[in-house]
Amino acid sequence: MQRETRVVLLVLLLAGGALYLHTTTTTEEFSRHNIGWNGTSSLPAEEVRDLSRLDPGSTLLVLAPDRPFTPEEVGYLRAFLDGGGRVIIADEEGAANPLLADLGSEIRVRPGNLSSLERDYAHPGLFRGYVVGNDTLFAGVETVLLNRPAEVEGGEPLIETSVLTWDDVDADGRVGEGETFGRSVVCAREGNLIVLGDTSLFINAMLPENPKFIENLQPVQIDAVHSRTGSRNPIINTLAWIAERPLAVAAMAALIILPVAWRFGRKRE
Amino acid sequence: MIPRTSHIILVAAAVLLTLLLAGEAVDPVLYAAENISTAAHADPSTIEKRSPGDAASVIPLMDELLGHTGTLALTIKIKDYESAQRDLARYSELTSQFDRLVVTLDLSETDIAEFQKNNRQNQEAMAALLNDSQRLDELQSLEIEVLDGDQRMAVVYEGEALRQKMRETYTAYAKREPETTRIATHYGANATPYQESVEVIAEVAGAAEDWQADAPRSPLNISVTPREGRYGENLSIGGRYADGVPGTPLTIYVDSRIAGNTTLDENAAYAYPYRIGRILAGPHLVYATAGAIFSEVATFDVLPAETNISLAIAEVNRTAVACTGNLTTEDGRPVQEAPVLLRLDGETLISTQTDGNGTYARTLILTGGEHTVRAEFNAAGYPLNSSRSGVVSIQVRGEGLSPFPFIAAIAAALGAGWYIRRRGLPPEPPVPEEPDIEPPPEIAETGPSVEIEGLPPRDAATILFRALRERLGIPATKTPRECARLAPDHAAFFERYERIRYAGETPTDEELRAMEREALGRAD
Amino acid sequence: MAGAKKYHAAAVLAVWLLIVTFFMILNRTLDLEVFFVLSLIGLLVVAVLIDGAFSRPRYMRYLGYVIIVEVAIFAYIVAEKILEIIAA
Repeated sequence: MQRETRVVLLVLLLAGGALYLHTTTTTEEFSRHNIGWNGTSSLPAEEVRDLSRLDPGSTLLVLAPDRPFTPEEVGYLRAFLDGGGRVIIADEEGAANPLLADLGSEIRVRPGNLSSLERDYAHPGLFRGYVVGNDTLFAGVETVLLNRPAEVEGGEPLIETSVLTWDDVDADGRVGEGETFGRSVVCAREGNLIVLGDTSLFINAMLPENPKFIENLQPVQIDAVHSRTGSRNPIINTLAWIAERPLAVAAMAALIILPVAWRFGRKRE
Repeated sequence: MIPRTSHIILVAAAVLLTLLLAGEAVDPVLYAAENISTAAHADPSTIEKRSPGDAASVIPLMDELLGHTGTLALTIKIKDYESAQRDLARYSELTSQFDRLVVTLDLSETDIAEFQKNNRQNQEAMAALLNDSQRLDELQSLEIEVLDGDQRMAVVYEGEALRQKMRETYTAYAKREPETTRIATHYGANATPYQESVEVIAEVAGAAEDWQADAPRSPLNISVTPREGRYGENLSIGGRYADGVPGTPLTIYVDSRIAGNTTLDENAAYAYPYRIGRILAGPHLVYATAGAIFSEVATFDVLPAETNISLAIAEVNRTAVACTGNLTTEDGRPVQEAPVLLRLDGETLISTQTDGNGTYARTLILTGGEHTVRAEFNAAGYPLNSSRSGVVSIQVRGEGLSPFPFIAAIAAALGAGWYIRRRGLPPEPPVPEEPDIEPPPEIAETGPSVEIEGLPPRDAATILFRALRERLGIPATKTPRECARLAPDHAAFFERYERIRYAGETPTDEELRAMEREALGRAD
Repeated sequence: MAGAKKYHAAAVLAVWLLIVTFFMILNRTLDLEVFFVLSLIGLLVVAVLIDGAFSRPRYMRYLGYVIIVEVAIFAYIVAEKILEIIAA
């Protein structure tokens, strides 16, 4: 009997581990709870939910924003920028363009299918961009591996692609009618505002490809409200909500410990 | 064996699993992290790396080509013809390299292809200028030596023809310069040597002009009608030879290469039909010679035309497919004996050629599975624009199941069966069938007496067991349990003995005596 | 427990297959042929180790049949791979 119990316990343990992994992780892109290749769980960053209480002089990363910014939030960001803080907006789809307009910047993100002939990988969207500007974010970095970036117009160029790059409109992998070669800018700066046309630099699979860039980024805070680093999974959100409130953590702990203590702590009659 | 529910469930589950797995056996790789990508990005660890080799050499090659024009022009100007020839050879080598690069990188619809066309024309212009310059120098030294009137006129006419050629070549060369420079600077190549070469060529052509400021017109005149045409059209090259004798043979040169021969007719006129074939688009020079007399130089323009190429694939057998198609210009004229490239799976290039009707056919041997083929016409050297067919995908059945793996499987099964049988881990038929094979055991009336006095009880039991076994005629290799099955009458004895022997029980004296009686067959 | 050796053998085989599966998931490649070959190796090792010299328990008899079938499939896989390599 003893052995069978042990085996059953082992199987239950394995099943419990699998269940835990299944419920506390997700496969959504860019999510902090996604431990797969396209999540951001390995990116060392702090999440902030309140834009009015940002540390002046720190770095704020807005990663693939999908929620619009209200006028007050734009005001907080403006104040943060003026106070010396650095804001990095990473966007591949153009959803950050309204925010950029509200912030009074001329930089815009133009989504497209940038492909390059000069590349190290078999995929045309995976190629290296060259650092042309001067910024502490790219100190010591000569090339950055880009993953299907979007073009960024305006501002002072920081990263440019090689000249054998084109916007593959018909997605056939080659330069066809109406497509021309040319250099594109994928990262531009305006004062303390940096707009990066490639959100993929922060996913788990890409972090080891640009180590110096990620190192220069630290310490960084992610705008959890507007970035796509959250999750739609209610279990994860509940757990995260509880973890943030020390009172709730204490309540949970008490809920588990007290019955156990009562059961074993009673004086034997 | 009593079938218990758990056994049945186990067997059913095993059969179900085996069926499921067998269904997947055709494509055994159930899942592989290959080329995982979403709309926003691709997983770099699943994408294979490849060397950028080719693409990185495009712009440096453009640089080199432009640089060569500069040095060539200078060597021609200073009349160092030997090193100019060497330079020219290197330049053509680089040009062919560049052509190959444009084809493999599939750049035919970019402005790099424009640059390639212009570069080819530049190379031909340089070759022509070099040869003409050299010939002009020879003529200059010849003129001084020759005193005969006729021969002198021949030299004069030839010189005049060369001058005109060089002038036309220079004009065309200068016309190509702005576009070529624009493309080169767009890609960051250095176009300065090229721009300087234009001025140098101007000087060279100018120097030729100076030599013979006023030469009489040649008596052999030439004209081309119409002045322009497209691929496949016929132009008429003709003229009159003022002092000519009917029947004199004439040689027609297009771009310094012999295009054909004709003869003067009774009116001292000649006409030669020239079909526009494989020459580059743009201006071309034509002149004629009658013996040593050179005519003037006439120009005609070849206009580019669009082409269409079609591709059809038919299956020939399990592993081969036949690709056929037609290559025609826009006006429906077939492009004869032109090179056609078949791009297999986007990577491999197979070359073939069209015949006199513009049709090409090629059989490809492919491995099983899906393949894509596309036909491309590069128009290198033709006054045509390149064209490509649509992508045609075919499913090749591939070789059928070969019998070799099955033979191997059967051979392995037989070998394993023989080995296991030999080793004694035998898949013998299970025990319950044995009564059919075994001869019925003999039962002797009484057995020999055995001595069991003085032995410890368990050893005595062993001796009695062996005696009974022998008496019943059961082979000595059988275990007590098997004996019980073979001789059910004595099952109780054997089972008791089994417990004594293996479970460590000790028989009492009474039991021993009963066993002795049974073992020796004494009825009691 | 009756047939303790049988249960031990089955447990060892199951653990070996779990380890193989774990590494295949880690490598993000689930290949049926590789799994089959490794399970055959496990089965053969277990069969050799639990085989006694003097007795032939019931489960060992049927194991002989299973081993023959698996070896036949293994030979098929190997022959197929050889053909692939030669054709390439």
